Amino acid sequence: MTTTDRPTASGDHSYAGYDEDDDPKVKLHYGIDPHDPWPDDVPRGQDDSRWRFQDNPRLARRAELKIAFCWTLTMLSGIALAIVYCVGGQPQVEGTMLFVGFVGLGVGLILWARDLLPGTEVTASRGTHNISDAAKREAAVEAFNRTVDPIARRPFLLRMLGLVGGVFGVAALFPIASLGDRPHRTLYKTAWGPGVRLVDQDNNPLKPADIAVNGILTVFPENNIESPQSSTVLINLGDAPFDVRPGTVGWNIGGLVAFSKICTHAGCPVGLYNAQTHQLVCPCHQSTFDVLKGCNPVFGPASRSLPQLPLAVNNAGYLISSEGYQQPVGPGFWNRA
Amino acid sequence: MTRTLKLLRRVLRGPASRRRILAGPAAVMALGVAAFAFMAVTGTAAQGANAPVSTNASDIAAGEQLFAAHCQSCHGVNGVGGTNGSPELIDAGAAAADFYITTGRMPLNATNNQALRHHSYFNATQTRDLVAYIADLPAINSAHPLPRVGEEAFNPTSPGIPTVAPLCTGPGTPSGCVTLSDGQRYYSLNCAQCHQAAGAGGMLSKGDIVPSLHNASLTQVAEAMRVGPSPMPVFGTGQLSAKQVSAIAQYVQYLHNPNNRGGLGISHFGPIAEGFVGIVIGFGVLMLASRLIGNRG
Amino acid sequence: MSTTEERLAAEKRMKYERVGLDAVDDRLGSSGFIQKALDKIFPDHWSFMVGEIAMYCFVVLLITGVYLALYYVPSAADVVYHPTPGHGYMPLAGQHMSEAYQSVLNISFNVRAGLVMRQMHHWAAVVFMAAIAFHLCRIFFTGAFRRPRETNWVIGLLLLLSVMLEGFSGYSLPDDLLSGTGLRVVFSIVESIPFIGTWLAFDLWGSQFPGSSLIPRLFVVHEFLFPLAIIGLLTAHLMLIWRQKHTDFPGPGKTETNIRGSRLWPQYAIKSGALLMIIFGVLGALGGLFQINAIWLYGPYNPYTVSAGAQPDWYVGWLDGSVRLWPHWEFRSFGHEIANPFFPGVLVPGIVFTIMFAWPQIDRLIYKDHVAHNLLDRPRDKPFRTAVGVGALAFFTDLTFASGTDLLGNDLHMPFERLIEILQYGVFVAPLVAGAIAYKTCQALQRTDAHPIMKPVGGILIRTADGAYHTLGDEHGAHGDHDGHGHAVDDHDGNGHAAAHDDDGNGSADGNGHAAEEVDEPAAGAAISGPDPSGS
Repeated sequence: MTTTDRPTASGDHSYAGYDEDDDPKVKLHYGIDPHDPWPDDVPRGQDDSRWRFQDNPRLARRAELKIAFCWTLTMLSGIALAIVYCVGGQPQVEGTMLFVGFVGLGVGLILWARDLLPGTEVTASRGTHNISDAAKREAAVEAFNRTVDPIARRPFLLRMLGLVGGVFGVAALFPIASLGDRPHRTLYKTAWGPGVRLVDQDNNPLKPADIAVNGILTVFPENNIESPQSSTVLINLGDAPFDVRPGTVGWNIGGLVAFSKICTHAGCPVGLYNAQTHQLVCPCHQSTFDVLKGCNPVFGPASRSLPQLPLAVNNAGYLISSEGYQQPVGPGFWNRA
Repeated sequence: MTRTLKLLRRVLRGPASRRRILAGPAAVMALGVAAFAFMAVTGTAAQGANAPVSTNASDIAAGEQLFAAHCQSCHGVNGVGGTNGSPELIDAGAAAADFYITTGRMPLNATNNQALRHHSYFNATQTRDLVAYIADLPAINSAHPLPRVGEEAFNPTSPGIPTVAPLCTGPGTPSGCVTLSDGQRYYSLNCAQCHQAAGAGGMLSKGDIVPSLHNASLTQVAEAMRVGPSPMPVFGTGQLSAKQVSAIAQYVQYLHNPNNRGGLGISHFGPIAEGFVGIVIGFGVLMLASRLIGNRG
Repeated sequence: MSTTEERLAAEKRMKYERVGLDAVDDRLGSSGFIQKALDKIFPDHWSFMVGEIAMYCFVVLLITGVYLALYYVPSAADVVYHPTPGHGYMPLAGQHMSEAYQSVLNISFNVRAGLVMRQMHHWAAVVFMAAIAFHLCRIFFTGAFRRPRETNWVIGLLLLLSVMLEGFSGYSLPDDLLSGTGLRVVFSIVESIPFIGTWLAFDLWGSQFPGSSLIPRLFVVHEFLFPLAIIGLLTAHLMLIWRQKHTDFPGPGKTETNIRGSRLWPQYAIKSGALLMIIFGVLGALGGLFQINAIWLYGPYNPYTVSAGAQPDWYVGWLDGSVRLWPHWEFRSFGHEIANPFFPGVLVPGIVFTIMFAWPQIDRLIYKDHVAHNLLDRPRDKPFRTAVGVGALAFFTDLTFASGTDLLGNDLHMPFERLIEILQYGVFVAPLVAGAIAYKTCQALQRTDAHPIMKPVGGILIRTADGAYHTLGDEHGAHGDHDGHGHAVDDHDGNGHAAAHDDDGNGSADGNGHAAEEVDEPAAGAAISGPDPSGS
């Protein structure tokens, strides 16, 4: 349509009156199939061969200096990094040097591309390659259909193949079962049982008087501190009115009560004890349990009480569990109830 | 230059002091800008008085005067307690008195407020006198018994002000010394669940605040464990030995300025705070960069 | 302009290049591809670079990850830590810990530059997810997922999932107190799945929690499985972008069948490389100056210890928040139980991701739009979609806040009970309110566009060849059809361009093409607007 006297991307044909429609190279540069006519929405005579300071050597020189400065910073920080590394390393200096070095490199590159390299925005054709032409589509369908009829002729084999895949696939699933132990009764068990002494973190046995009024201590079954499900909190409620629920009579020793430390919601250790309100709070999801009401959940996502551990004192005066937990501790699972 | 470096080391709180900083001016400037822009505010560690409780009669008398002026309206004559729910203090003990007074938790503005840390209302002498008087309350009350009015004090075991054993610093330290490693272990099991692993504090039920430990002195930490300042539970001598309490107190002291080798600690609030920094500073800067590189049209 | 020597030098250079490229073409016939690649045009709106930020964060993750893998020991075996002063972290001296935790302490204190690498790795993950989230929003709000790009939307979401799981597995590898607590919660969530939960949990962990198999398994997952998945999906993502070409905002001269931007060579390649460098630099600064996940302060993991303020990394925060906000419901009957964590931990993300995966289909049904698009929607032109997106953002924000209820409560001096209650209502109210506001805002903005007085301000003033002036907006004041296609719209950044908008791609000859010709033909008319319309 219109031509200009500016140089075009092809470089060699930049004279007025030249019809770009004839040059396949120009069309290729603008994403146009050489056999297709020049589309209406791709302007002609675009020029992407010029750079910003092409006509201003002074500014170009200045840009060059700026880039050199950026890259000098990069070199200096590289040297600094090497020295810091040799001396033994210092994270803050290393981080700063990485920042200066890489950003210097990056900014230099940006300046180079912006000021000294060709490339204004250009508009090109998107081409038609999101959709193939009709002949190609037909050919593809035909190629695929070559097998459709013969296969459909043998429905038995087809069904057999499905069956084989199913059976063989199921066989391939069996190794998954070897990945872990069977749950069996593991989830129902802790290391507590009749006569197991309560010990502190360092495996020292405890006497009832060791827990001060309003005191709390995490206790473990003796010699089983690492037993993951067994950690228990021992609380001395003092004179606070503890509500002994049916079935738990005799499980407390005065104000001394013991409850599982594993949250019945998601299994975090229920650690936060508010000694004023006598509430245990889970730091993970804020489930709150009222110790005075048998660690009944009063807030948050937990829906079951923390299981209570029946306490007793043995002949030597040490705290023991008279039995293990009467229900699975920790969060719920399918077979739990 | 060296002063700037020193300041930076303090801000970064890392073992920079142990390592040679080889920073050019650019590094210092970048560090400085970053450091001052996001400096985590840390309090200075005030060392609490660790003196034995005075039994001097004149101190007790001075304490009685102070008590009458500032405490009696709630806690009653001779600390028998008040009808507004204020506990009796007869068996409160020196540790509780010292803890509540030195941490500024008492006197309290309003009785239904949670007692939280403030500037101490009393100076050192006044504190000594008041503590002496409150420690003497059991004797005073047995001499002149008055009916007790208020709720029982939180931990009626009258603990004295605990002394904190020093840290083991090498072969020459005394045999009773404690290690930070023990402190970390006991802190982690007994304290971190409420006060957070780095002592940043947290939240209990019913709106009770778990205070940050970054201003608590050695003695105050030990006192708090023994006293159980409501709503905190008590850690009696049967639960944690004097040595364990000392170890925890020393570790809490360490947490005031922990090893922040990685840079600014972001208040040690954990992943959500870190995510905020990552998004605002990290991603924000990169967005700016792409805005500069890209077309804004 | 150029001297003889310069021209000679240029010719010489050309000759060498020619020899090289010809040699390759003689063997591969590759010149067609090379020409297409070098001439390839990338629209370079800044928001299109956020996907690149994500990709380059992944590059940083790969490089730093390899470094860390050289020193990390994937073992849950119990060891006693013996640091020496100046080499190691003394406050944990003599403690029992897993070998994995010990190796991360070694990386942090003994390996030179190890801590910076570790922190860069973690920060890169945080920024990676931020970039992915932004990129996802950009794609959603501009309708870039529409035909023909539905597949890439799905691949992108699979990438999001892979990166989330990759991030969580990485967060768990150090075996510190925080990560162990996170794993405990995940174990409980897996355990709560009906029928298969306990078996699945035991197969993943190898035994009852915590067990000793998980750390080595997580290492394989984090080092091999998910990186491989991410690399594969990323490759497919990029191949599709390459094949289908990038979308672009509507603008003067832009149509469904042309594309405007910088060529790959040299502008785009160099600027993109520069962005990579800047990302290296910024992550290096974060890694060196801002401490992240100071595992030495959390201490080694024990199943019986926990720290207040236990949270996951920010991008898992919404799931943690969902677990915190879900009411205390559990269902028990016939001797079986569906435990509480199943609903917020499995069902909620399941529903959320199902909706996200299905969105291109849902969107197609809503707008009855089955044609291909290369030009983007402006969010205001699709008020309902925008409202859904803003509502979803409000939903995620509410849940993310919920994962910090204890910290927020401490800061605001508000009981976490009340905060959780507010956020529980917020899950329902915030999306509705935010969505409604977004909807109304879109409508108001549309009215502003349609108002005749607004036209000259936001439009392009055209001087025709014969010297007459008219604005682009006048030609397109009337909407093309019922659902808002093919109308003239103002440039959304308000910089003074008018946008000839033809997003239904059916070649409706409503004058857009005509306008475009005028704008882009310097001989026919001059486009007058604020900034330089070529916008380099």
